[in-house]
Amino acid sequence: MSEVRVLVLAGYGLNCDYETAYAFELAGAKAVRVHMNSLIDGTIKPEDFHIMAFVGGFGWGDDHGAGVVQAVKLKTKIGNKIIDFIGNGNLVIGICNGFQAIVNMGLLPGFDNNYTVRSVALTFNDCGNFRNDWVYLKVNAASPCVFTKGIDNIELPVRHGEGKFYSDEATIRRLVENNQVAIQYALPDWSEAGGKFPYNPNGSIRDIAGICDLSGRVFGLMPHPEAYNHFTNHPDWTRRKEEAKRSGKDIHLSEPTAGTRIFKNAVNYIKRR
Amino acid sequence: MPHRLEIALKPDMFDAEGEGIRHKAKDYFWIELSKVRTVSIITIDAALTDDQLKIIQSAVFTNPVTQISSYNPLPVEFDWIIWVGYRPGVKDNPGSTAVEAIEDILGISFSNEEAVYTSKRFCVSGRNLVRQDIEKIASELLANDIIQQWRIYSKKDWDSSTGIGYIIPKVILNHVPTVSSVSIENDEALKKISDQRNLALNPNDIPTIRSYFLRQDVLAKRAQVGLSEPTDIELEYISQARSDHCNHNTFRGLFRYKDLETGHLETVDNLFRTYIEVPTLYLKDRKPWVVSVLWDNAGAGIFDERHYYVITGETHNSPSNMEAYGGAITGIVGVYRDPLGTGKGSKLIMGSYGFCVGYRDYDGPLTPHLHPRRLLDGVIEGVRDGGNKSGIPTPFGQVLFHDGYMGKCLVFVTALGIMPSIIRGEPADQKKTSPGELVVMCGGRVGKDGIHGVTASSEVFSENTPAGHVQIGDPYTQKKMHDFLLEARDEGLIMFITDNGGGGLSSSIGESARYSNGCEIELEKVPLKYEGLDQWEIWVSESQERMTVAVRPEKLGRFLELSEKHAVESTVIGRYTDSGKIHIKYDNKTCAYVDLDLLSAGFPQWEFDAVWQPPEGRGLFEPVLKEPRDYNKLLLDLLSRPNVCSKEWICRQYDHEVQGGSVIKPLVGINRDMNSDAAVIRPVLDSKKGLAFSQALMPHYSSIDAYHMTSCTIDEAFRRLLCVGGDPEHVGGVDNFCWPSIQYHPVNNPDGQFKAAQLVRSCRALSEMCLAYKIPLLSGKDSMYVDGHLPGRYGETHKVSALETLQFSSISVINDVHKCVTMDSKMPGDLIYVLGTTRNELGASEYYEHFGYIGLNVPKVFPDQFMKIYKALGDAIDKGLVASAHGIYRGGLGVHLAMVAMGGNLGMKVDIGLVPAEAATRGDVLLFSESAGRIIASIAPENKKDFENLFFGLPFACVGTVLESKDFIVDGPQGRNLVSVSVDDLRNAWKKPLGDLI
Repeated sequence: MSEVRVLVLAGYGLNCDYETAYAFELAGAKAVRVHMNSLIDGTIKPEDFHIMAFVGGFGWGDDHGAGVVQAVKLKTKIGNKIIDFIGNGNLVIGICNGFQAIVNMGLLPGFDNNYTVRSVALTFNDCGNFRNDWVYLKVNAASPCVFTKGIDNIELPVRHGEGKFYSDEATIRRLVENNQVAIQYALPDWSEAGGKFPYNPNGSIRDIAGICDLSGRVFGLMPHPEAYNHFTNHPDWTRRKEEAKRSGKDIHLSEPTAGTRIFKNAVNYIKRR
Repeated sequence: MPHRLEIALKPDMFDAEGEGIRHKAKDYFWIELSKVRTVSIITIDAALTDDQLKIIQSAVFTNPVTQISSYNPLPVEFDWIIWVGYRPGVKDNPGSTAVEAIEDILGISFSNEEAVYTSKRFCVSGRNLVRQDIEKIASELLANDIIQQWRIYSKKDWDSSTGIGYIIPKVILNHVPTVSSVSIENDEALKKISDQRNLALNPNDIPTIRSYFLRQDVLAKRAQVGLSEPTDIELEYISQARSDHCNHNTFRGLFRYKDLETGHLETVDNLFRTYIEVPTLYLKDRKPWVVSVLWDNAGAGIFDERHYYVITGETHNSPSNMEAYGGAITGIVGVYRDPLGTGKGSKLIMGSYGFCVGYRDYDGPLTPHLHPRRLLDGVIEGVRDGGNKSGIPTPFGQVLFHDGYMGKCLVFVTALGIMPSIIRGEPADQKKTSPGELVVMCGGRVGKDGIHGVTASSEVFSENTPAGHVQIGDPYTQKKMHDFLLEARDEGLIMFITDNGGGGLSSSIGESARYSNGCEIELEKVPLKYEGLDQWEIWVSESQERMTVAVRPEKLGRFLELSEKHAVESTVIGRYTDSGKIHIKYDNKTCAYVDLDLLSAGFPQWEFDAVWQPPEGRGLFEPVLKEPRDYNKLLLDLLSRPNVCSKEWICRQYDHEVQGGSVIKPLVGINRDMNSDAAVIRPVLDSKKGLAFSQALMPHYSSIDAYHMTSCTIDEAFRRLLCVGGDPEHVGGVDNFCWPSIQYHPVNNPDGQFKAAQLVRSCRALSEMCLAYKIPLLSGKDSMYVDGHLPGRYGETHKVSALETLQFSSISVINDVHKCVTMDSKMPGDLIYVLGTTRNELGASEYYEHFGYIGLNVPKVFPDQFMKIYKALGDAIDKGLVASAHGIYRGGLGVHLAMVAMGGNLGMKVDIGLVPAEAATRGDVLLFSESAGRIIASIAPENKKDFENLFFGLPFACVGTVLESKDFIVDGPQGRNLVSVSVDDLRNAWKKPLGDLI
């Protein structure tokens, strides 16, 4: 595989398209920002890409439920093309508003290989407001998730008003049993958040921050890995820089950030398949 | 037949919105509710079949996992129901997106007559609730009668089969658009018509207007197009262009300034030219990084070889004061159109806010339209939705409480953008219109929005009268337009672009037509929200989310193709000419024909008498205050004061990391809860360069002297940038004046001449400071009537005027963001320095205010001395010697040492007897004086020598060390211990008042 090509969705109020494309480029891919309408009218074809990114933002202002109108539009117009894209062994990532959209399209959780059923929801934060904060995330090592391979703990920012992961008990049990729960909110010592605010920032059931399908190739998460594309994105970076200096170490600026590693995993998966 | 869908969360689901209302009812009104459940209502005024209704119900409007819905009223438990919906003509953003979604899934198109309206039904339960409680919650928490209507139902009133019925807030005007001509027989007649029609013509302008329309050559030319006397649309055009808002008549006025102490009399002809334009042009010649100032919608500076940054600021005070949420969201979304309309268009990269309001817990006799607490909630949410939904980070802002803002609040909004320096070989910062180019209006449609501002609020409402004078910004529509226009720009399709803000098309076309020297507009082509607007209303409407673009005819096809791709409406409404005329037609009939140069010809200058009485002469003096003994309690109490305490809840609800370039966040420190001195972003992700941005606001000092208010504000804004690593050689500024009325009137504004003198002094300080610090003013604005008349207890009203206020924004380019520093102490054992001199300057300080004093000794700025310290600090940061840097601002050294300690969550032991001081020996003076030009820095001990060498000969002192423990120990002169508390105590005090808000 010479070039891994990523389709980054844009338009209709989405707003993380630039930095998501940039994060994929840092990870070694060729990323193209594509307006939803160019995908719908066939100007741009999914089959020319290996990874599809549903990005953060406020599609249709998040009116009528975050990600809902985007999901309706894409499912109505090109739902089959997207399901074929997944069926062909490609990768899909949905971040924040993108996670909300793919959950409403039914791409997740994708039980029984069915990518059309809405069985989980991302609803209003229990705290009652939009919240921007960094969270501690525990990665499920047993998850098939392609994007989180080899990562155990990770810190990322959340920025949402509707990120509470919710479903009925049976569905949650099934997600857990299948190891589809890829990442969970945690305490600063990486133990279970147990719903405790602000570590679990939204009241998500079982501290769920991100899930994947059974193949691990479709991944959705509320936190923003693309917003941790640089050493200086981390809230503690000036402290870490100072600590490194005192211990005579260099800060490893060239090393990929934890956020970028998620995108690298995706790119490497395509390269190796 | 309309349809009404009710949607609610499943009964077992937590209703966060309802819970929020329950809490606020208790916290704000002491009304105990046991439960609040919200029901969203979608009223579809369109002919849909049963099958279609079922499809949209299940696929769009009901989440099967979380929600239930029904076309009949949902049986949700309640004791009382409050229904809240919009008044006709108020922007219903979810209603519009609902139409889009329905059209998409059903493959249909709504007719002009069809629409979707959203509203909410709150089901409230609680023991012993009475109608008055419910009315209070409805009118003071849930709805604002300016934009919303509400209904209250008791159990008895509610009919579970009909519910709220079908409420359709549709605008029906039943009016045939008419152009009327206006008599100009004599000055009085025109004045009378101006008053009747709310034209707001300035009486002094009337003779000039009349003489123009009576000129023989003008009459002859007008006769050729079928016009004689001026039309209403022509007079509206002139009135808009001549308004203080558009023309800045106050700042361009003639000021006779008299100093009562010295008797000295001085005339200042044009404050803007004298104190803003002249110094800025002088500095532009000496600062090669300045790209564009004083003419465009925002100023521009060089970011790197390939990019320019742009910056501007605005206020949206009056609308926010009436409808806080709507005013603030319209304000922030509106200011975002300025960078978008700068050069050939700039991408938005950052916004900031400043809120000045009355105290949250105000319980005095005055009753403003909105209580300050409610007002603050509303403006916070307005900027939140406006910024977050635009995808623009909001990493900086300020909140300031003072009784003076009860009359009118201030809502400052600032916007930063970035553009490539070159687009297809052409300089991106330059633009012009040329004859033959098309006038294209992009974005939203035109309604009766914002016409004649708030004067419309006195009109009588009917159920179909549009309540459009207070608007609700629509970030979604604007974001689509933003993305579209940037793509069009990059393809070289845009020759000129500007936004439609104040004055609407009248301003945007009037200004853009000056380049080509004329235009011909076909007004009937302007897309309307509803029929029945008069021609003049279309011309001056301030409906939001619109840009005016000049496009070459041969590029129009591609322009419209891109517009369609981005789902943005763009319409050709005329063309630019070189006729020298604004020529407006409606259905091919001329309704306006005015010479463009009329506005630059011969209108009289405004004149003001400005009388300065120095503070001593006004009876101000230093209070007689003996030194306190309990410094622990004093410091903790100061940390709990409204203007000092933590306001984390605001920062957290603003997305400050979108676009992926966050370097220094609004909240820093080990617990990520301290306010940063400035924000830093990387607007170009593959560059190591950054933009540092900060602001200062310190109107309290105006109660002594607005000159020193201004110089201290600018010093603080400058110093804040340096503390994160900003480059002192590259600092640009934005001045934003908010002043009470300076038009003297013996009865209505008896101190108008003093306020005018304060303005002159403030402008003088602005000029002097900018020249001393070498800050070109990249942009600026003024808002001149910050006064209100508030009802009191007995039916009387009180005029409440704001403090003379200047918000100053500062921006700097950082060459390598890795060198940035934050304000929090880093390591035990680090040395703590105080840089700069502490003077006995407690006048108008937080400390004095705590005791109810003003005092006299207001802080002063000494640019030459300060600049040496700033440059040394800049060098120290550049060399990597500094572990933390933090300016000493409101509250003084004591408060800000506490901030540094809380930031690191580490104690410190300092001896403030060592602080460089002039005429300041007492502990309270050293701890709480607000002398400008000072910084607290901490460094690793091994850097001591290198660091101190940089400050050789300057006032600085190592005052102590960072501790391993959490003990915060401050010793005073003669080694006496003043403060000994734990950092946890500091944090608890600082977070006590507002720390629990989310």
